[in-house]
Amino acid sequence: MSVRLCAIAATLAIVLSSLSAASCARRGATSGPTNDLLIIGYDREPDTLNRFSTHILEDIQSTVVEGLTITDEQMRIEPLLASEVPTLENGGVALRPDGGMDVTWKLRPNITWHDGRPFTSADVKFTVDAINDPSYNPESTDGFDRITSVETPDPLTAIVHYREVYAPYALQFIRGCLPKHLLEGRDIDRAGDYNRSLLGTGPYRVLEWKTGEYILLERVPTYWRGTPKIARLLFKFLSNTNTRINQLKSGEVHMVATVPWDKYRELAVVPGLSIHRTAGNAYEHVTLNQRQFSAFGDVRVRRALTLAVDRDLIARTILDGLASVTHGPIQPVSWAYSSDARVYPFDPAASRALLDEAGWRDANGDGIRERDGRRFAFTLITQSGFAVRENVAQVLQRQFRDVGADMSISLHDGTSISQLWFEGHFDAMLHWWQMPADPELTLFFAADRTPPAGRNINYVNDDLLTRLVYAADRTIDREERKKHLREAQIRIADLAVEIPLYNVTKLDAVPASLQGFKGNPTNAGAFWNVHEWELKP
Amino acid sequence: MRSGLASRPALAILRRLATAVPLLLIVSGVVFALIHAAPGGPTAVFLANPGVRPEDIERLQRALGLDQPVWVQYARWLGAYVRGDWGYSLTDNRAVLDRVLERTPATLELAAASIGIAFVATFALATCAALTRGRWPDLVVRAASAAGLAIPAFWFGLVLQLVFAASLGWLPSSGRVTPGDGSVIDRVQHLVLPAMVLATIHAAAWTRYLRASMVAAFDHPFVVAARARGIPERRIVLRYVVRAALLPLVTVVLLDAALLVSGAVVTESVFAWPGLGTLFTEALARRDYAVLMAMVMLASGSIVVMNLVADLVYQWLDPRVTP
Repeated sequence: MSVRLCAIAATLAIVLSSLSAASCARRGATSGPTNDLLIIGYDREPDTLNRFSTHILEDIQSTVVEGLTITDEQMRIEPLLASEVPTLENGGVALRPDGGMDVTWKLRPNITWHDGRPFTSADVKFTVDAINDPSYNPESTDGFDRITSVETPDPLTAIVHYREVYAPYALQFIRGCLPKHLLEGRDIDRAGDYNRSLLGTGPYRVLEWKTGEYILLERVPTYWRGTPKIARLLFKFLSNTNTRINQLKSGEVHMVATVPWDKYRELAVVPGLSIHRTAGNAYEHVTLNQRQFSAFGDVRVRRALTLAVDRDLIARTILDGLASVTHGPIQPVSWAYSSDARVYPFDPAASRALLDEAGWRDANGDGIRERDGRRFAFTLITQSGFAVRENVAQVLQRQFRDVGADMSISLHDGTSISQLWFEGHFDAMLHWWQMPADPELTLFFAADRTPPAGRNINYVNDDLLTRLVYAADRTIDREERKKHLREAQIRIADLAVEIPLYNVTKLDAVPASLQGFKGNPTNAGAFWNVHEWELKP
Repeated sequence: MRSGLASRPALAILRRLATAVPLLLIVSGVVFALIHAAPGGPTAVFLANPGVRPEDIERLQRALGLDQPVWVQYARWLGAYVRGDWGYSLTDNRAVLDRVLERTPATLELAAASIGIAFVATFALATCAALTRGRWPDLVVRAASAAGLAIPAFWFGLVLQLVFAASLGWLPSSGRVTPGDGSVIDRVQHLVLPAMVLATIHAAAWTRYLRASMVAAFDHPFVVAARARGIPERRIVLRYVVRAALLPLVTVVLLDAALLVSGAVVTESVFAWPGLGTLFTEALARRDYAVLMAMVMLASGSIVVMNLVADLVYQWLDPRVTP
């Protein structure tokens, strides 16, 4: 009896396995990328497609909506829906005696929204008015709130009046414009038809958004820069990194933008894949909170910690040579980058000498320095879930310990860590800033821009540095700005405000047969020139 | 006594549901306080954008009602909730009810498949083990069920993906459907791996319960008596032993089912399954209080209902039990 029942159970198991195998056998081979369909493994599902309501610029939106300008692969600001970028030289920018400025945008003729309605200066004015209207809740009103009014003398001209000089004016409409004919008089926050199925002027339009699964885009045959070669783009939402990589390996997705560095070796050997490396405009660094941990207020301590870190070792080993060491907040891809700033080599002996000089000595012989009875011990917070970052934190812990500093590591999820740094409740933090295409250092280094007024979470308070960064922000003369920003970079390095580690190089895994892909270091993302892409077997 | 209760089953059910109301109220209050006490909030993610300024954060908090004291926010939420208004998502401004409803079919599909597979496997394995008590099939089943309990779902899921999707290419590694396909076969193929992960975990636990119950049932006098009367062993097992052994399993299965229908968080995440589990993960990461509260109430409500169903099934299987 027992043997018979076991036999029945075994038979049942075999039947189930057979059913499964039969279903597997019927599964056809996964098709490769073609000009008919390109499948992208995407790490998140957008909350909304409205570019003014979301917290980050999304790749999906950039294929549908176009700005008046765009930043290209060299971080140059190029005209897109505008016929030219307004400047002082071409008369597009005029400084007023009252301290304000006027920016005249000339729009390209014959641009239409995907529904066939013309794109005009009325849309530019509507966008400004909507964002400044209290009934709408965009993510940010930064820049728009400095606009007093917009004149539209003709359908292709919009004159934007600012109450003060606004240096990054050329990026003001980089997120595009809201379609007046669709959204006027409506609650934009809850305009589901627009927020989930954007109306744009770009090379693709939204065909289907399957919640929790994917967004399917189809090309616009009448696109003003020519019909895109790839007919459909499918963004599959795969939040789990390992799942995303597995799908790339199995061919279920053809492309993954921004691949984690620790997956590089795994993917580099996958046939048919090409890994593009793009030097980024973000930099990984250790923020030293002078307000929370008073020892960081001493420049000798900050310099000592910077000298204690072997950044070349980190770049060679943990980063696998994929990212380069950086020495400041402005990256070499930026026009404002200066190589004149001081560089701190790896020099533990000099580090120890500086800590001795600052009064931090190991009196009790336990390997950790003390001063006035207080141990040199602090906590570094960082975001969990990033293997590379967690490994770097451990290396820092070891290297700081070698010079007598006891650093513990505390991991937090993304939302928690944002709150912690915003409130200044941390000693040190390992993280990166994605710098704007137009370098605005005021936000990060001016003495009066500590939270909540800005992102100066080092709590650095230096008069000269504050003057320099404000001077750079209050002029629109490029050479003048460059001069101020060069001096600011030198000052930041002299003060060792933070510990810069490496440039956040972007890795994009794309089909080897994809032509025309150009990585972009800015928030424009990997799809900024998708209309040029073509798959050639 | 039994006939009296049988004439008032609806009343008994209503009484049970009524007693659940204070419980759900307490759960809602505690959870509401806890999620608001967690670091960060719905607007914290905006801080990553340097263009977002304190006045933007204050404006967004006002718009979302987050500038009010927590108890005021709770009272508003509760007042709307009891009127059937689940509010709007704090991340995409869509109705919470819509967001939950659009994810529910995927979760129910996965739950039904995994419970079905797990139940069949449990029945087969536990019966096999109980009948061969102490011999090698029993030992194998016990070892396998211990392993099944010990394996983390995320790891097991990734291994299955690597083997059956990345290496063999037999099955899709994740998702619910191939865009543009949607045939029954395609759907089944997508369902196999996540359902197997969940089924393995649950079958491992249930097999141990059922085996132990069956082993105990074999020693009952009614089995001895049945054998003495010459009833065939097969009938004894299927008619008497399994029925008696199923009783304690009912509660376990139904409570597990309650959790499954509110979303298998880890498995859905690994397999990009567009169900309530992934919705919960996303809402938690963004601190979308409105969606989180809806999910918590859904899970609590499911447990209350499934407990009640378990009692009713118990009574059906054993009429001596009163609800």
